[in-house]
Amino acid sequence: MNYRKALAATTAAAALTIGSAAVADTMTIGITQNNVGVDSYQTTYEKAFIEAAEANENVEAVVLDAGGDVARQIAQMEDLIQQEVDAIIIWPTNGEAVIPAVRKAHNAGIPVIVTNSNIAEQGFDFVASFSGPDNITQGKRSAEIMCDKFKDMGIADEAKVVHITGQPGYTTAIERAKGFDDRLPEVCPNVEQIDKQPGDWNREKSQKVMEAFLVKYDDIDGVYAGDDNMGVGALNAAKAAGREGIIFVGATNFAVGYEAMERGEYWGSIYQSPVDDAKAALKTAVETLEGKDLPFLNYFDTPKITQDNMGEYDKPVF
Amino acid sequence: MARLTKKDIGGFLARQGILVAFALFIIGFTIANERFLDPDNIMGVIRSSAILGVMALGVTFVVISGNLDLSVGSMMSFSTIVVLDLHDKIGPAMAIPAMFAMTLALGAFIGFLVAYLKLNSLIVTLGMLSAIHGLTLTYSGGKNMDIADKEGTWFSVFGQGDIMGISVPILIFLLLAAFLGVLLAKTPFGRKVYSVGGNGTAATFSGVRRARVVFSCYLISAFCVATAGLLQASRSLGSQNTVGQGLELEVLAAVILGGASLLGGSGTIFKTVIGVLILGFITNGLLLVGLEFYVQFVVTWVIIILAVWLDIAAKRGKLWSPIA
Repeated sequence: MNYRKALAATTAAAALTIGSAAVADTMTIGITQNNVGVDSYQTTYEKAFIEAAEANENVEAVVLDAGGDVARQIAQMEDLIQQEVDAIIIWPTNGEAVIPAVRKAHNAGIPVIVTNSNIAEQGFDFVASFSGPDNITQGKRSAEIMCDKFKDMGIADEAKVVHITGQPGYTTAIERAKGFDDRLPEVCPNVEQIDKQPGDWNREKSQKVMEAFLVKYDDIDGVYAGDDNMGVGALNAAKAAGREGIIFVGATNFAVGYEAMERGEYWGSIYQSPVDDAKAALKTAVETLEGKDLPFLNYFDTPKITQDNMGEYDKPVF
Repeated sequence: MARLTKKDIGGFLARQGILVAFALFIIGFTIANERFLDPDNIMGVIRSSAILGVMALGVTFVVISGNLDLSVGSMMSFSTIVVLDLHDKIGPAMAIPAMFAMTLALGAFIGFLVAYLKLNSLIVTLGMLSAIHGLTLTYSGGKNMDIADKEGTWFSVFGQGDIMGISVPILIFLLLAAFLGVLLAKTPFGRKVYSVGGNGTAATFSGVRRARVVFSCYLISAFCVATAGLLQASRSLGSQNTVGQGLELEVLAAVILGGASLLGGSGTIFKTVIGVLILGFITNGLLLVGLEFYVQFVVTWVIIILAVWLDIAAKRGKLWSPIA
């Protein structure tokens, strides 16, 4: 049964039965994901989402995947609107191109929740709320991890850092880079960022970039990579070149990053769980439908993880 | 020995315009950053170009035979993922031949469609590009594939090892290039590849079994892709499902840059190697110069166009021609 109609009906029928009666009705929540299967994060996310939806007996989920294709995602949005789902969760394939489809859902009275990576600002009017990691804070926290380590080592006044970013043009890449670039000079004003190049979220590409950095600079004390996959690529390059003592800090702790931390080769990262991400998206959608007053931006916490505190965290499954 | 006459030099330029372009870039980058010619850097560039290079060798055969292969990128992802997965399941000694067999089967399938069913190679391999990507994702369940015991496996020798100071990927690339170069230039099979791509009908009337030649080219391409997958897997001992994504266009760019004609019938292994090296050195050189990366995309394009122009200008003996 359609949740919105149910809600309207219940409210009209009896002012005596307080809202909770409507909540007992099934709500249909559609999700169109970015590209399941392209990496382990997204694969784990989808599994966790389906599990969370099954665990909630009031939720019926329609799970779709756009396969990274903007056109397909827009078509899926239209399908979900046709099916009159109660809410739509979208993991945008592209922050700009999906806005018209989001607007269409909004105009049809279906609340849209954006998950993981936000759409562009001009579409905010059509979005009920965003749920995901705060990438600017992640970048800042990585800068703090790096700076704290330099202070421990006593090189906070002279250290030189290179920076490997995600794919140019991607919101997550831009935000993490911005957080790092802004925060590092605040906490460690004398640390110099000597170069910044994209590794495109790709381990092999990142390894190539790092190889060039190693040739170009004799002194590199720290490497910040936009995620652990690239961080490990950079680490591989440093190991192959026999350069030791470099501090590697990443983000989105992957299993390979966690293992490198266990071996003592990789200093720290940001712990971001796709399971938390998926659960937060579903929770945000459910609470929106329940009429709770939510902030526009709902961030789930992504704590710092380093060799010092990694025992508190399970090894990532992806 | 005869003295070098102007005509000899002109003749050399006409044949090796791309080499001249290559030399010019090397000089340019060296002036921009003195570390460019550092032996470590040179070796590093060749080593990281080796993967692309090995793939380009195979695609050279396919292109000369008058066809295209756009599936090599996703096929390389497939080989990489498969060999990494099987490494932990059945051990490296079994995993490598198993991966080669599977990749060759894919190549044989493509070859069958193009050579025997006479389907358009662009459509077939474009379709296979996404089909093989789907196959890889299904195989891995979308997860990154990593070797559990990274320190204790001899499997890393292909991507990370050294023999007499030269890294193994470079040796494999050069050996394969030498072998395939001889196969293409000095054997009856090689001449058949040229004749099929140059004028297929004439080749058929001359008794060349066209389908078999085209089929063999796809098998060679698949073999090269499997080798590239092996190098890739061994180099990083772990991989995303999309590791080869987009490489098909870089490979094609290297082959065409080397002077092979998209219409078939011309090109050599040596020039493909030069094309690969030009692409590798451009990427590296721009990183060393430290240009902002948004600009790098544009500059890369400008350099490629310059190279192609120099190559053509050398062939016709002047920089500019009023007649196409």
